[in-house]
Amino acid sequence: MKTRIQSVEEVTQSFARHGYICNDQIATTVYLAAQLRKPVLVEGPPGVGKTELAKATSAFLEAPLIRLQCYEGLDEARALYEWKYGKQLLYTQLLKEQLGDLLDGAEGLDQCMERLADMGDAFYSETFLEPRPLLQALRADEAPVLLIDEVDKADQEFESFLLELLSDYQISIPELGTVTARNEPLVFLTSNNTRELSDALKRRCLHLYIPFPDQQLEARIVQARVPEVASGLREQIVAFVQGLRELDLKKQPAVSETLDWSRALVLLHAHQLDETLVRQSLNLLLKYEQDVGLAQRELPGLLKRALGRR
Amino acid sequence: MAADVLGEFIRALRGANLPVSTSETLDAMRAADLLGYGDRERLRAGLAASLAKSESDRRVFDVCFDRFFALPGSQAAERVAAPEPAAPPPSMIQRLLGGGQQASGNSGAGGAGESLGDLSRDLLADDQAALAASLATAGQETGAAQIRVITQKGLVGRRIFLAMGGEQLDQDIRDLEASGAVADQQLANRLRTGRDGLRDNIRQYVARQFLLQGAAESRLLREQTMREVALRDLREFRDVSQVIRRMARKLIALHSRRQRRSRKGLLDARRTVVASIATDAVPWRTHWRQRRRIRPRLFVICDVSNSVSAASGFLMLFLVAVSEVLPRTRTFVFASRFAEVSSQLNGPVDMSVIEQILDQWSGPGTDYAGMFEDFLAVAGSEINRRSTVIFLGDARNNDMPARQELLREISQRAGAVFWLNPENPNRWGSGDSVMASYQPYCRHAASCATLAQLERFVSVLLSDMRRL
Repeated sequence: MKTRIQSVEEVTQSFARHGYICNDQIATTVYLAAQLRKPVLVEGPPGVGKTELAKATSAFLEAPLIRLQCYEGLDEARALYEWKYGKQLLYTQLLKEQLGDLLDGAEGLDQCMERLADMGDAFYSETFLEPRPLLQALRADEAPVLLIDEVDKADQEFESFLLELLSDYQISIPELGTVTARNEPLVFLTSNNTRELSDALKRRCLHLYIPFPDQQLEARIVQARVPEVASGLREQIVAFVQGLRELDLKKQPAVSETLDWSRALVLLHAHQLDETLVRQSLNLLLKYEQDVGLAQRELPGLLKRALGRR
Repeated sequence: MAADVLGEFIRALRGANLPVSTSETLDAMRAADLLGYGDRERLRAGLAASLAKSESDRRVFDVCFDRFFALPGSQAAERVAAPEPAAPPPSMIQRLLGGGQQASGNSGAGGAGESLGDLSRDLLADDQAALAASLATAGQETGAAQIRVITQKGLVGRRIFLAMGGEQLDQDIRDLEASGAVADQQLANRLRTGRDGLRDNIRQYVARQFLLQGAAESRLLREQTMREVALRDLREFRDVSQVIRRMARKLIALHSRRQRRSRKGLLDARRTVVASIATDAVPWRTHWRQRRRIRPRLFVICDVSNSVSAASGFLMLFLVAVSEVLPRTRTFVFASRFAEVSSQLNGPVDMSVIEQILDQWSGPGTDYAGMFEDFLAVAGSEINRRSTVIFLGDARNNDMPARQELLREISQRAGAVFWLNPENPNRWGSGDSVMASYQPYCRHAASCATLAQLERFVSVLLSDMRRL
């Protein structure tokens, strides 16, 4: 991993090279996170590039990306480590005879126990440990970027469990003791705000809120991601999507949807927006029937604005 | 110096109800060190990342930041940029005064036009930077940041004026006026204008300090009052929903820390042993006992007739605010008609949504027996022992039959029935109120005339929900 970042500009430029266009707030926060060794909590509506930010950072820092997707019911076994139960069973069965030999001639229960104890904790050792993303991140030879995606989906207990990791980069495993990070990872947590995260978690993180981009920024993102789109069409696309976001929609179209739509329009060989084209491809932008209906009704006005701004 | 300014800024943030912890303060200082004070927007971005931890906090942060690091000529920004403000250039004053004599500071009253105070010279030279710096220093010395109550404003302003050398300035003006020379009179006039401008500046400075620091205290006072005042009179306060949200957040924090039982459940020994027969008694596949969960539900029925609609509105607002720790909720309103409003309360709800519901359904003439019948017809089949039912109303039945057996039926089916009555308990059962007949069938009946009482009830409700 790159350890020294010279300036905020370096972050911005490098992100741009990797196709991630960002504003100053994002670059400053990433810069601070890397310098202060602090985790970043990224919030914002779905599809504005929260996960993408972690990927871009991993590319920029030349560090491996380890990803943990959170969901309801996620527990330590899935996030941190698990004992390979099957392997343990298999070994005890295969080694049955050896165990019998070992205990051969032992007198009384006490002596048997003693001999078994000499084996040490053979069955709870590294061999039978299945490291999950968090443990992988702590034991990585090279400092990785750790992405804990959609942490708000996980339960509250899991959040509390993360606190030790986030503040000290270490985790306690009952059978093994405390595992400290070989190389401190750069941690990104993302949240879609389905529930309020605890203050304790927020206190340990830098906070970054990514809103929908403004027109200029979005045009640059489209340019970077879908360079095939002609500049005239690009302006129209972005203006149209920006107009859509002003409507009272159930789910507003995000950047990822703008990009999908742009790609689709390229495939359709469109050179400029027109009513039938938009009507047919609107379902790429809007994911709810009632939103599509509303947009259909408002379509003439939206198109007029999008085309008029040229 | 920079650390002082940051500390003051953080105090202002705390004043604006942003909970900034010590560790966050340290982060902010390290961030500011890394980024420097050169670029205002970058400093804002860095401080925001370490201090504002949610979208709404960010908005508060931005307002505070703009006020505190006000552009241009902000004291805070300037104090950081130039910690040692340069002394005003003497040459200009000397030219003005027409003499090569070096004025010796506050040497007291001397010959008119010869030995003016520092402040007078800064005013004559119109040296805004020096004035701003001296204003900031005086403000710090007199503790303007400690201002708490609005009535202190005048006093603090006067103190700052004196600390800046205001007495000397007054004296200078008097001395100049006393001398007969035309030039001196002109100087006196200019000083008077300058003094007026200075007083304006001080007033603005104090007002800003009050906004930054003192507003918090008076808000606490205001909140305290809001909690005690009758709900009826509360509608006119515009920031009431913010207060409710804050109260709700506290309750959520209190009640969301429930320990959940292990999701995997206990090992089902019987099934595991049976399954192990196939693998030669090796328990290859483990079986776990799973708990079947019946989802708890909450039903809220609000009387929205004119006499109690205010309390109903606030109850709905409160329940929506704590909805994240509540199970699925169905809300009904009734006055002369009975209707479900659950769909309107999904998603973001503010006072206007509530007002809209109240306007639409409120009316005279409540019939509680009819309401029970309607409720049983609509939701009766969904009520089970894991349901909680809340009624809000004054139980004034307009001399119609109380039909408490209907409430008994609801109470028998549901896990718990709560009743909220906006009237004082000693009025329950008086006149046409049938509260006395209903009360035996309620697990808990409480009065809800103020926000404080409402908060207490919601707290009781949430801890009762835990049993489910």
